[in-house]
Amino acid sequence: MKVLGLDTSSYANAIGVVDDGRVLADFTYEARTDSLQKIVTNIDAVLSETGLALDDIDGFGIGLGPGSWTGIRVGVTVGKMLAYSTGKPACGVTSLEALAYDAREVAETVCTVISAGARDAVYAALFQTGEGGLSRVGDYYVGDVAGLARLGGRGAVYVSAWPPLGEKLAEALGAGPDYKIINGVPRGGTIALLSAARLALGQPDDALALAPLYLKESTARAMQAGIIK
Amino acid sequence: MSNYKIQSSKFDIWTLDFDIRKMLILGIETSCDETAAALVAGGREILSSVVATQLDLHSRYGGVVPEIAARRHAELIGYVIDQAIVSAGRTLGDVEAVAVTARQGLVGCLLVGAAAAKTLSYARRIPLVGIHHIEGHVFANLLSNPTLPVPHVCLTVSGGHTMLLLVEAPCRYRVLGVTLDDAAGEAFDKVAKFLGLGFPGGPAIEKAAREGNGRAFRFPRPLLRAGNLDFSFSGLKTAVINAVRPLMTGGKPLPVADIAASFQEAAVEVLVSKTLRVALETGVKAVSVTGGVSANRRLRQAFTQACQNKGLEAFFPDLSLCTDNGAMVAAAGYARLNRGEVAGLDLDVVPSALMEL
Repeated sequence: MKVLGLDTSSYANAIGVVDDGRVLADFTYEARTDSLQKIVTNIDAVLSETGLALDDIDGFGIGLGPGSWTGIRVGVTVGKMLAYSTGKPACGVTSLEALAYDAREVAETVCTVISAGARDAVYAALFQTGEGGLSRVGDYYVGDVAGLARLGGRGAVYVSAWPPLGEKLAEALGAGPDYKIINGVPRGGTIALLSAARLALGQPDDALALAPLYLKESTARAMQAGIIK
Repeated sequence: MSNYKIQSSKFDIWTLDFDIRKMLILGIETSCDETAAALVAGGREILSSVVATQLDLHSRYGGVVPEIAARRHAELIGYVIDQAIVSAGRTLGDVEAVAVTARQGLVGCLLVGAAAAKTLSYARRIPLVGIHHIEGHVFANLLSNPTLPVPHVCLTVSGGHTMLLLVEAPCRYRVLGVTLDDAAGEAFDKVAKFLGLGFPGGPAIEKAAREGNGRAFRFPRPLLRAGNLDFSFSGLKTAVINAVRPLMTGGKPLPVADIAASFQEAAVEVLVSKTLRVALETGVKAVSVTGGVSANRRLRQAFTQACQNKGLEAFFPDLSLCTDNGAMVAAAGYARLNRGEVAGLDLDVVPSALMEL
């Protein structure tokens, strides 16, 4: 089964293609403000590189975020319309899960972290690799970098999706040999692999219903609901 | 038969053969708070027009919240496009081109429509065309009034825009005047919010004004006698608020109907007077009014009357085409494609874009 995966949640955008668990292409490029401009032409370029046509793709993996609100809307919209236009199934995968999957051989438990834009704000989650594969432990974390020390605990491995964030994380955790910080990005190939596994189990998502995972209300709504002032 | 050579930015050249006169175009519009899509045949015949309004989401804020609007677009876009195709009794395979509002609007909102449109264009191998939102409104009037002559003067008035255009020739525009601050519809919204009439303010003011006396208050007519053709509505809004505030302390009920009617009269007079002035100066035979505020009955009545007095014809879109919709985008897309204009898949959105390009 050939699956195309894409992610636009971080400062890097990613497109990958897998075929029966084999990564055929995994392209990551910088896209801070030109995500929309680059995404479709880059999908075509990646497909050309693999010698595949869009019609050869059996399903789509779509990075849902969390991450840049504007960014994930581009990827989720492109992904759902690819599935709609081709009549092929799609799966949504979170950016935090994609980061954790790539680090699964480093440690059994990893804490993955994505920048939430403003200052030290982050989205994070704890993942565990066991016999049943990768699973998230507990809720998503939305807060500042300092609070992450509690989430990961001692001896934790942190995967940060933005190098400067890794530095802030190191600063917040303090000096010590009992934690490790790895930089990574949500990769298109990884999103494709995770989606392919779910599609193989016959568990696609409803493509048109897919929506970004924001983890935070818009500022206006949060103010209205009295969550923030 | 027209033969189109479509070259995208970096790969294939697609050659399509079809009868442009019947071309089935999907129009997508997400520039503000309506998620809209429509199928239009031959640039004229509306086969479907689906508009998912977000009014309920924004009403409590008294205006459109960009992030909330963009989120809703991302949730709804696929369903709205599918509904436009299905309700026209067609399939995706029948769609021959896709037009999308790519210029002028809220950036986060525009990019949802543009991402959907370019993906459809790529996956279905059909031409893509990016439209300026105001050009869409110009075409809304053409859809409703096939006899609308060119040249004509077109006033677009909505919650986001106030623009006076000379439509010199098909797809050729000269901007004559714009608002220097708030859009006309924005002033309606803000005055309605101040008076506690709810959102959107246009219909609320119009309804309240029906029972009121438009001469009860003498509000300013900003820039009415200025030599230029620009507008200013922020000052009018402030004048209303300043005049009303002292009345709020007496404990007596506020003459809401009179205030609404007087405000509406001031706004309408400025819009009609400046549009008519330039129509007479340029010697056109017709005036068209488009955008959400063009649904206002008092505005229509005043325009119709003033045009009649001066021997001009006044044109308004059907009420369903006044506010944002996909049909007007498809119609504009048809005209652009007819001229051989096609966008590449690297199409970008431009939140504030010149109209004359």
